[in-house]
Amino acid sequence: MEPQLWVLTVAIGLPFVAAVLTPLFYRVVGERVGYLGAAVATVSFGLVLTQVGTEGTVATPWIPSHDVALRFHVDGLALLFALLASGIGVLIFAYATTYMHGMPDLGRFYMALLAFMGSILGVAFAADLLVLFLFWELTSVTSFILIGYHTEDASSQYSARMAMIITVGGGLCLLVGLLVLAVAAELAGVGAFNLAAILENAETIRAVLEANGLFVPALVLVTIAAAAKSAQVPLYFWLPGAMVAPTPVSAFLHSATMVKVGVYALGRVRPLFHGPEWMFLVATLGMLTMTVGAILAVLASDIKELLAYSTASHLGLMIAGFGFQTHYGPEAGAFHLFNHALFKAALFLVAGIIAHEAGSRQIDELGGLWRALPVTAAITAVATLSMAGIPPFSGFYSKEILFEAAWETAQAGGGLAWLYPATAVFASIFTVLYSLRFLWLFLGEKPEELGTVHRAPFTLFAPPAVLAVGVAFVSLLPDVAIGFLVDDAASAAALEPVAIDAKIPTHLSGPVAMSLVTIGVGFAAFPYYTEIRSILARLHGATRRTHPVTVYNGLLGATDRASAAISTHVHTGQIRTYVWWLLASACALTVAGYASTVTGLPTPTSAETPVAMILVLGVAVFAAIAVTVAESHVTGVLTLGILGFMVAIFYILASGPDLALTQLVVETLLLLIFLLVIEELPAFYRELEWGKVLRDAALSVFVGATAFVSVLYAAPAEDRGLTETASEYVDTAVPEGGGTNIVNVILTDFRAFDTLGESIVIVIAALSVLVLVTMRDRGETQ
Amino acid sequence: MTLAVAATVGALFALGTFLLLRDDLVKVVWGLAIISQAANVYLIGMGGIVEGTSETVPVLATHHAPFPETVDPVVQALVLTAIVISFGMTAFALTLSYRAYQENESINVTEWKQ
Repeated sequence: MEPQLWVLTVAIGLPFVAAVLTPLFYRVVGERVGYLGAAVATVSFGLVLTQVGTEGTVATPWIPSHDVALRFHVDGLALLFALLASGIGVLIFAYATTYMHGMPDLGRFYMALLAFMGSILGVAFAADLLVLFLFWELTSVTSFILIGYHTEDASSQYSARMAMIITVGGGLCLLVGLLVLAVAAELAGVGAFNLAAILENAETIRAVLEANGLFVPALVLVTIAAAAKSAQVPLYFWLPGAMVAPTPVSAFLHSATMVKVGVYALGRVRPLFHGPEWMFLVATLGMLTMTVGAILAVLASDIKELLAYSTASHLGLMIAGFGFQTHYGPEAGAFHLFNHALFKAALFLVAGIIAHEAGSRQIDELGGLWRALPVTAAITAVATLSMAGIPPFSGFYSKEILFEAAWETAQAGGGLAWLYPATAVFASIFTVLYSLRFLWLFLGEKPEELGTVHRAPFTLFAPPAVLAVGVAFVSLLPDVAIGFLVDDAASAAALEPVAIDAKIPTHLSGPVAMSLVTIGVGFAAFPYYTEIRSILARLHGATRRTHPVTVYNGLLGATDRASAAISTHVHTGQIRTYVWWLLASACALTVAGYASTVTGLPTPTSAETPVAMILVLGVAVFAAIAVTVAESHVTGVLTLGILGFMVAIFYILASGPDLALTQLVVETLLLLIFLLVIEELPAFYRELEWGKVLRDAALSVFVGATAFVSVLYAAPAEDRGLTETASEYVDTAVPEGGGTNIVNVILTDFRAFDTLGESIVIVIAALSVLVLVTMRDRGETQ
Repeated sequence: MTLAVAATVGALFALGTFLLLRDDLVKVVWGLAIISQAANVYLIGMGGIVEGTSETVPVLATHHAPFPETVDPVVQALVLTAIVISFGMTAFALTLSYRAYQENESINVTEWKQ
């Protein structure tokens, strides 16, 4: 069945419309505007839900001449992603109305949150490269606004800027990667920006890419973009920083949706890039992140930081899944995308409840919370056990499929490929460790220092409870979720037939042994959590110089210092400095352009110059020299007048009577204005500094030479005749303009609007002159 | 013919640049004015320069086709606009200099308060 265009357009467009209206509503209904967000998310969710079961591409033209269209493609993967975004969106808006109670700037907050939701839905369905890029960047921008919610707070500013630099930097890589794809698609004769068609003709595009040596560059660029967005090694460090955002934002953007955009994009292009290079790059990247993220999560001292690193680790798991070549790969990726969104969003909301009710987010200060927060404790138990991958919870199934993918890859590849399953187990042990640690916040004894823990209001624990019920449901009846959507999602990213098989294993096999080791070692090591953490902390401290965030800060500091150093040279406030740099660089670029494109110097045409013209031009140049060396202002102005009148005579000689007339009038007026102003100004006396004069003369000669060469290059051949535009004007001046003076007809008829603009410029200049002359006496200054 | 125009444009650009770099504000304005003149001559040069006769001037003597081959009227329209705009610019720059002198009590740009 075909999807319906209007349903998708409304589902994506409505959040944006609501975002624009939110500040208005905020003035009227105050912070209850959050419910409006929840309502919009519900509508979008419902609309997307009606499209389940459809598959296909719908489009409405945008820039038809370049085959750019507002094109949406619906399949299992897009639907899964869109349903997660809008469904969790409903819960987040409901949660935020309580959590953000009494906070400032909620109009802006909800506006950005709504715009974000619209962008993420756009990314999910976009099937046009430009539209995809647009929505992709919109998610970065809205994320920036949301991370920087506390605009006055320095750490908030720093983190927002960091997230912006990394994700938008990745976005630039995406842009280049997409343009490479577009070029390949155009060469292959498939519409240049049509992603759906590109994926349908994956084999052809791939052949074109490979023939032109663009396959690996395109693959690497898209992977970098995805890695930046999805917090992969070494670009993961912005994600923990983003935790300065309010908890609903962390739960929504930085666990369930935005960070999955990269994973989603890799799933999308998997059929195109699928191959050994793909697996080597993507699966290795994912495995590496899975390990690093899990270790850093164990090290974390703040519950949101723990969850952030854990998110990076799980994103690595999904990316590794999509990276593997076997059919288990996309199954693990898509299924874990779904499971992770449910349990991680729930856990972030739980972290918000803890911060709200216990007043602390420090892991070491918290414990025994189950007495005060019994429902939250139950939610946490379901979510953390799923995160740890303990059977029979949902996370176990998807992780088990990943183990199968790694195992099969190792068996097929042999040798070093066995590192994949080994790393997967190693990373998963740490996952079990930090998951148990998070659960332990609720168990054990409550520390003395921790004050009274309040009970959570219903509106705070209801949203994570819904998610936890979802986790429990998938845990008990995985086949329902798989059959509903996850199977379709996995097959959208796979080339092979897909059949997700989620059940508790009954007999021992390689992957099952991997799970047993993971869980066994994890539980056995948990009593030694503090010791493990201090060993890791020592290693972490010893390698501090190589941490990506250290490199980032170093680069940022160097850029800062470099720009400060440059600006003291370029930005001095002196006219001459600006003129120097501007003219020198403009001329250097021009000359470089000539040098790289033109061979040989231009040969001037041989037609004879009339003596009159040589004379006039010569006088003009002499007048200009006289202006330059003029001792007093009055002589300078008068000789400037001579120059102007000579140019007017030149126009007469060069067949331009109208120009000459205008020039004469303008020169006369200017002479008067100059004399009027100069009368008010004092004389200028200054000793010549010869060093300065020589330097300026050098630049002047350079500029003059560039202009000289440019005229020679630009001059037309003498026998060229009129250009097409010019002869068109000559031929139509009388029949259509009704005048024989072609220049006049052009100005007042064919290009009348330009002349109107010109008149406006003169009016603005006149008004400015008036203001400058008269306003000072009216006490504008002092 | 092109060579003469090129030499003029080059010389005017060089002298204008030199004036732009002076400390005397009035000379900076002169530099702007000279560079505008040079740019206009440059534009005319790009249309091809033909010695003026009654045939080449872009004012038609006849109301009926075939129309004679005149010089390029497009560059002339452009330059006409440019002359007027540069007039406005120079007048504004002069007044701005006058006001800057009033505020800073000097026409030496290096002596201005930052």
